[in-house]
Order: sequence, then structure tokens, then C-alpha cells
Amino acid sequence: MSVALATRLIDVLGALLLFSTLLILASGQLFRAIYAVAVQSVFLAIAGAVLGAATGNPDLWVIAGITIIVKAVLLPWLLIWVVRRIQISREIEPVIPINATLALAAGIVVLAFRLSASLGPVRQAITGNALPVGIAVILLGVLVMASRRKALVQMVGLFATENGIFFTAMAVSQGMPLIIEIGIILDVVLGALVMGILVLRVRSSVDTDIADLENLRG
Amino acid sequence: MMTSGLLWLTPLLPLAVGLAMLLVRDRRVLTALDLVGSLTVLGLTLAIAGRVVRGGPVSALGVFRADHLTVLFLLLIGLLAVAVSVATVGWMRQELARGQMRAERLRYYYALVHGFVATMLVTVLADNLGILWIAMEGTTITSALLVGFHGDKHGLEAAWKYIIVTTIGISFGLFGTVLVYGAAAHAQGGVLAGAMNWSSIVAIAPRLDPGIIRIGFIFVMVGYGTKAGLAPVHMWLPDAHSQAPTPVSALLSGALIKCALFGIIRFHTIARAACGPQFSQGLLLTFGLVSVVVATPFILAQYDLKRLLGYSSVEHVGIIALGLGFGGRLGTYGALLHVINHGVTKALVFLVAGDAIGRYGTRDMRVIRGLLGIAPMAGTLLLMGVFALAGTPPFSIFISELMVIRAGIAAGRYVILAVFLCMVVTIFAGFIHRVGQMVFGTADASVGREPEARLPMLGLLLLVAAMLLFGVYLPAGLDRVLAHATEIIVG
Repeated sequence: MSVALATRLIDVLGALLLFSTLLILASGQLFRAIYAVAVQSVFLAIAGAVLGAATGNPDLWVIAGITIIVKAVLLPWLLIWVVRRIQISREIEPVIPINATLALAAGIVVLAFRLSASLGPVRQAITGNALPVGIAVILLGVLVMASRRKALVQMVGLFATENGIFFTAMAVSQGMPLIIEIGIILDVVLGALVMGILVLRVRSSVDTDIADLENLRG
Repeated sequence: MMTSGLLWLTPLLPLAVGLAMLLVRDRRVLTALDLVGSLTVLGLTLAIAGRVVRGGPVSALGVFRADHLTVLFLLLIGLLAVAVSVATVGWMRQELARGQMRAERLRYYYALVHGFVATMLVTVLADNLGILWIAMEGTTITSALLVGFHGDKHGLEAAWKYIIVTTIGISFGLFGTVLVYGAAAHAQGGVLAGAMNWSSIVAIAPRLDPGIIRIGFIFVMVGYGTKAGLAPVHMWLPDAHSQAPTPVSALLSGALIKCALFGIIRFHTIARAACGPQFSQGLLLTFGLVSVVVATPFILAQYDLKRLLGYSSVEHVGIIALGLGFGGRLGTYGALLHVINHGVTKALVFLVAGDAIGRYGTRDMRVIRGLLGIAPMAGTLLLMGVFALAGTPPFSIFISELMVIRAGIAAGRYVILAVFLCMVVTIFAGFIHRVGQMVFGTADASVGREPEARLPMLGLLLLVAAMLLFGVYLPAGLDRVLAHATEIIVG
């Protein structure tokens, strides 16, 4: 695969990544947000495969495979399992109205592109628009976490943020060393498990969403 | 070869001890394993310190690396691990008697503590910046379970806030790491072996693109700053430090937030060389001053003893950031010394506070009265520790704070210094007022008056000895390590 083609594909996938993050932000229903982050992970995996083909680095194929298994299947499945288990209401109650969050999101995307346009020659080290897309997806993930008071949606936002980081990381030169990427994914999985345990424990003792607890102040 | 083996062994040993603990149910065996495990960690860190002081930095396969900076943090972790283990003996007795801890879950508690210590050791030993990040997230995972260990509503709320806020914060740190790595790979014209290692990046740092390093350092500062408890991203800290079991609070405040600072320092050295000292020092000054200012009103208005200590940690992390931000040899040396001094003192105060809270059954400082009357040792130590935290001579914190202030004068940052000094004086008054009321007076009849146990006191006395010693005399070995570590940062 030629470099020019790979760059174009990465830009298309970056746009899809951004679009799926906006879907998470716009969704008023828990399952929709979970499916959106799963789809986003599939795009991320395809990006890994494209870069693997373009650079001839087999590690990227491995990472693409792991991404599909862990991020597109395992973690969404875990989230859905927890939702079924605790039978919470599946509506997402936003802290800020969804329209206002989307307006904020537009501002964030513009800002990310302006910021990375100001960078010098080092941009060549990163394929296509992977840097601004990465920054935008990371910040949008944080926006999801800040604007929704529901533990599982906050986890979805966290996964989206991590997808953004991975997207940029893959596009940097030839990606990070394989062992490091595997370690990071392991951390993500363990972290998600611990979060799941905490959500379930609160549910079984006080019957509320853990993100709704607000006793510690001042 | 021997030495690189030592670097691998240091984190692996507590991990193995932790795993072995899962198989043990007997409380006495667990306690013994805990003590032996911690003592071995201290022994290993001392051994590494000896090698580094005699023969310079050592590395193991480009994964781990111990230089003088590492040694400083290693010694802090080792010392605190031992002191906390010894103090845990008494604390655990109290908790079991009060029914706070269930005997059948003890092994999980001890195993998690050792896993937590192991991950902290990896953080400071890592040469590869990716491993540094992985270990940092590992500390979050193990300690979040410990924060919520009691399983009550407040503990779980604190644990949730802790894991969510620090995980998202730390992912900013990962993004910063990716950008710095990208810049390094670009400067080398391709990915060479060890392109992610701090030692090789810092060697080519002057050739790195300053624009991308600047963005990378901002992400790292916000990310690892969250974990270090720097305001305005400290929201998790008072909750987690107040709700965690007391020995864990001591480790969180004493050691963990220093490990996050260690991460910031590593990137600070890269950023200094790539875009000049002004940029990263300015950022450190901003975060440091905001932390001190934000902590002050919360310290004054606080009635919860452990929350008060949590906010005091925000203040002291701010002081360390200020020292690094003022820069120069003096400021950096003072900041590094403050890492040790605050770690030792805060761990001591948390452990004593935990004992008092156990006796009175509350953390409300308006209810705790007359500690000196019913527990003379704990009362004295609490008073000493709090005077030390407030920055009174002859305790060690006074010395390092003075260095930071002198560095500020040398750098000509008078406005920042004026604000900082106002805050420190206010905090001093508030602190002494509150704790004076707790220590003096007469206690209610209902308060537990059991005599103080001797053995757990040994752990506290170890910390008191360090706190007093470093206040009046700095051992030559430590001074040399500090001087070399300063050199690593300011070159």
C-alpha cells in the first residue's frame, strides 16, 4: 500500500472516529453509547491494519487484532453485562443539555485542528491528521465523562478517550513498541474490571448509581 | 549483571510476597509476611542505593534504570513500607476489635498493599516511559481497591471518584508520552532501539521539536499532576485519602503522590532541554501556587481530621512544584528534600491520626479532645508531626521550605513568594488551633483508654527519627544523592 493511499485512509478513518465520538455524546440511551464506542473501536482496529500494511510493521497487525477482541467485543460486552445485572434505567440523564454539549464539542474539534496546525515539521512524523483527531477525541471523551452523571457512561467516555490516544500512538512513526501497547491494554482491561466491581458493590449495598453518590464534600 | 538482577528483583519480590499472601489465612503468618516483605524491600532499595552511590547509574536491559533520582524515591518507598507495616500491626488489632475489618478478608488487604508497593517501585525504576505509565496506572488499580476496601458507601464513592478521575488524568499523561516519543522518533529519523527510554530521549533532547514537546509536557503535567494531587485537578485526593484505611492513606500521601511527581520530573528534564527552562518551570510554578492557594481555605474550614491531612498534602505537593518551578540548584535540591521530608512526616501524622480516630471512633476534630491524657505517646507524636507539617523548626520540613523560599528570592519571584508566605502563615495558624484542641483538654469517659502498644510505636518512632534528624543534620550520603539528583534535573 502506498503512503499517499494510507494517509488518505487514515484521514477517512479519523473522520469516522470523530463521528462515532459525537454519536456517543449525542446518544440519550445507554446501549446506544456502548454500541457507538464498540464501532469506534472497530474503526481504530482498521486504522491499525491500514498502518500495518503501509509500514510493513507486523506489530500493528497484532495491535489491530487485540483492539478488535478487547475493545470492540470484550469491554462493550462487560458494560452490557453490568447494565443487565444491575437493571438501571437506560436513559442517560445529562448534566448539561445534549445540544449544548454538541456545541461545545464543535468548538473542541476546531480548537484541536488549530492547535496542531501551529506545529512545525514534526507533523511529518505523524500520519495524516491523526494528531488533531487524537486530541479532539481525547477531549470529547472527557466531555462525555464530565457531562453525564452515570457510572457506565463515564466508562464509555474513558474508553473513547483511550481510543483517541491509541489512534495517535499508532500513527506516530511506527507505533509504540508492541510490549508497551499490550501492557497499556492490560491496564485498561484491569481498570475496567475494578470499575465494574465498584459499580456492582454500590448497587448491591445502597441501590444507586455510584456516580450519583455525593456525600463527600468540602 | 548482579546489579541489573537487583533492579528486577526489587519490584518482583513484593509481588511474589503479595501473591503468596493470597494462600495464607492465618493472621499471624500474614503479619509476619507483611513485616518480612517490607523489610526486604527496604533492604533491596538500600542495596541499589549503595551501588548507585558507589558506581553511578545502573540499568537493566533498557527497561529499568536506577540513577540518583530513582534512589531518592526508592528509599522513601522502602522506609515508608517498613514503617507502615510495623504500624499496621497495632492498627489491625484496633480495626478487628471494632469490627471494621473482617478476618477472612485480611489476606486480600495485605496482598493488595504489597501489590501496590510493587507497582510504585516499578514507577520509579522504569527507564522506558511507557513502562512508567503502565506502572502508574497499576498503582491506581491496586490502590482504588484498597480505598474502597471497607465497602461502605463513603469508601466506595471515594474509590470511584479516585479511579475515574486519576484514570482519565493519567490517560492525558499517556498522550503526552506518545507525543514526546513521536518527537524523539522524528529527531532520530526512525524508531531506534530504546526510542521510548528516558535516558536516550534526554540525550537527544536539545534536538527535539520544541512545539510538540510543549504540547506533550502540558498533557503530562495535567495527567501526572492529577495523580500527584496538584490543584485544580486534585478533586479525588481529599476523598481518597480520608476514606482509605489509615495505613493506605499514609502510603498514598507519603509515597504515591511523590511517584507521580517523579513522572513529572522525568518529563521536566526533557522539556527543559528541548524548549528551555522557562516553559516547564512556569507551568510548575502555576500549578504549585494554585495548589497552595486552593488548599488553604479547605484546611481552615475542615473538621474531618483525615480530610485536613489530605488538603495539607495538596499544599505540600504545591510547595514541591514551586521549588521545581523556581528552579536553580537550590530550588530543585529543596524540592527533592521536601519530597522525602513531607513523605516521612505525612505518613507519621496519618498513622498517629488513625490511632486517635480508632480510640474516639470519629474523625470529627470537634469531638476528639484530650488525646494527650489518654494516649501520651500518640498525643505527643501528633503534636510534633503537626508542628512539623506547619513548617516549624527544628523539624525537617522547615529546612526544605526555607530552601524553596530562598530559591524564590534568588529567582526574583517576589509576588509568588508573597502569596505563598501569606498562605503558609494562615495554614500554620489554622493547623495549630485545630490540633491543639484535639491534644489538650480532657477526654470523655466513653473514649477507649487501652494502653498504647509498644511494637507498632516502633514504626512511628522510625519516622520521627528521620523527621528530627533531617531537621538538624543531613547525612553526607543523602546529601550526595540529593546533589547528584539535582544535577540530573538542572544539568
